[in-house]
Amino acid sequence: MSDRPPPTSEIPWSGIVVFSVIGGIVLIGILSAAIAGATPKGILTNLGFYVSIAIVFAILALGFNLQWGYTGLFNAGIAGFYLIGAYVAAFAITPPAPPIIVGGVVVFPGHLGGFSLPLPVGMVLAMLAAGATAAVVAVPALRLRADYLAIATLAFAVILQIATTNLQSITGGSIGITGIPPPIQYEGTDAQFLNAMTLVGVGALILLASILVLQFMAESPWGRVLRAIREDEEATMALGKNTFNYKLQAFAIGGALMGLAGALYGVTLGYLSPASSFAPSVTFSVWVMVIVGGSGNHRGAIVGAFLIYGMEWISVQVRDQAVLGLAANYVLMRDVFLGLGVNALVALGLIFVLGRLRPGLAWAHPLALCRRSAVVRGVVLTAFAVYGVGWAFILVEQFAPSAVGDTIFYTRLMLIGVLLILLIVYRPEGILRERKRVLR
Amino acid sequence: MDARPLLTVSEVEKAFGGIHAVDRCSLAVLPKTITGLIGPNGAGKSTLFNIIAGLYRPDGGEIRFNGTRIDGLPPYEIVDLGLTKTWQIPHELRNLTVLENVVLAAKHNSGEHLLNLFARPRQVKADEKQWRARAREILKLTQLDGLANEHARALSGGQKKLLELSRALMSDPTLVLLDEPVAGVNPALAGSLMDLIENLRRGGRTFFLIEHDMNVVMNRCDWVIVMHQGRRIAEGPPESVRANATVIESYLGG
Repeated sequence: MSDRPPPTSEIPWSGIVVFSVIGGIVLIGILSAAIAGATPKGILTNLGFYVSIAIVFAILALGFNLQWGYTGLFNAGIAGFYLIGAYVAAFAITPPAPPIIVGGVVVFPGHLGGFSLPLPVGMVLAMLAAGATAAVVAVPALRLRADYLAIATLAFAVILQIATTNLQSITGGSIGITGIPPPIQYEGTDAQFLNAMTLVGVGALILLASILVLQFMAESPWGRVLRAIREDEEATMALGKNTFNYKLQAFAIGGALMGLAGALYGVTLGYLSPASSFAPSVTFSVWVMVIVGGSGNHRGAIVGAFLIYGMEWISVQVRDQAVLGLAANYVLMRDVFLGLGVNALVALGLIFVLGRLRPGLAWAHPLALCRRSAVVRGVVLTAFAVYGVGWAFILVEQFAPSAVGDTIFYTRLMLIGVLLILLIVYRPEGILRERKRVLR
Repeated sequence: MDARPLLTVSEVEKAFGGIHAVDRCSLAVLPKTITGLIGPNGAGKSTLFNIIAGLYRPDGGEIRFNGTRIDGLPPYEIVDLGLTKTWQIPHELRNLTVLENVVLAAKHNSGEHLLNLFARPRQVKADEKQWRARAREILKLTQLDGLANEHARALSGGQKKLLELSRALMSDPTLVLLDEPVAGVNPALAGSLMDLIENLRRGGRTFFLIEHDMNVVMNRCDWVIVMHQGRRIAEGPPESVRANATVIESYLGG
């Protein structure tokens, strides 16, 4: 009896949702670029950027997942370890950069390093630096209770960001570091496109390697101790485990992964500036990615990264590109949404009448169906949401045309918030839930 | 009883704020016995167990296990020496399976060291296989083998008590501290659980248990220690403790 899996629905809803949403993101991205009149190569370059940055976030999410999803350590200083990795790698691989002074004024500050080392060396150094820092931070911080660990790590990240902004002679200050070399230097008209594709390839390789190594480590007896600590540290200690050592290891390895993500980020962008790239909001985004994707499993962290960063990316795409096209078609949009609304009203009326005439028909009782089936509930909610967003767009366009782009841009935060609330209410374990480990 | 004690607690003290939970308590547990610890609620029994297991640091006194001084040692080193405790309120690892819970309690599983995973993958595999087999044997003993691959959170209260005992046995301890092993367990299961404990005692293990079920204490224990207000007030074979006037007054009642 114990060998039978628990009854689950035959349809892999979580997978369908994941693929349709990520597919939708890619589609909207392509459409936006097409509306703005981009060439196929331009569209691919754009998409490549999305994938590259999503991979960076996926690696951050994997690091946080090892710390929190497996071990239960709530790290609120993700941005700090990310920053260390990014800067250490940039110091290692960029060419020397002395300050440029025009008329006695520092126009462009220099920064530490300029060693022109190869990219893999830079990445290893980034991992070592971030991992070692994580270990040093962990020694006092891991003795604290969970909520104080969060406060201590958050403080660490904020201090680091402020220090980076102000230590001009080392970090380049608020201007940051420019001229970080890409993995391969291309020449000619297609350079941008080729570079984007190379970055996707390099990122995918690193992500794949990270997943394989993490899977090997976390799904071992060692990883089992981590999960035990997450469940109940005191009990794990009473079972004979030196829990502090395990927490230290998980924290340091997670930190090293965040450093690797930082290195990849610098290479992808080609420059670093501490103001927004390493703000606490990066930490919060990664939390959302792991919570939405599902903690305690690596797939969840990756899916969450692609989804949540996808929403951010889409908002930028729509603001920069699609709005121009859509605003011109405002009348068409209004008619479409008006038409949809009228049709929906007619359909609801028909269903209502049918339900009265033939009480036996299950589908003629939409409310009853909503109550009974989570799928119907989801479809109805989504329909209402789409309709509402559409109308909001039209209204804003009508009264303040120029504000539409910005409105959409900032609405993404609201949408992410709504998504998070819905998810925590209906599926607290995330889209992909942690699997039960059946031992043979 | 001429054997040297396996566990000696001398003058151990522990205060929480103004409350002296354990007040210069001294006692000894002889090897290969089932020793009971009884006393009213708040007598300091569970606190004493937590101190012995290394979960609380005593304010004073000395604890020796098998001749080694263990007060002040971290819990995992005490487990290493062969002393394991179970919890009064089960501390099952909820989202791990029953089998994972038990395998986790194995001492010296090479795969639990990160470097071994990479350096000695073969030994890791062999170790893990051996410990899983051992865990299954123990689960058969505690009659949880049918639930091996269920989440521990799905177990009933009584089954969680059995899981506590299974985990304790997995570390192959010389001395097991059982905090109310049969509280909340139905009488039939409680009986077989105590039979199991008696069997294991015959196999050479020592049990030191807190219990409020007088049936268990009087019929199964070789020696009973009574605590009241953080101190040992009486001890002896069950019959003599039952007759002791002080014990009747403070705990058993008229």
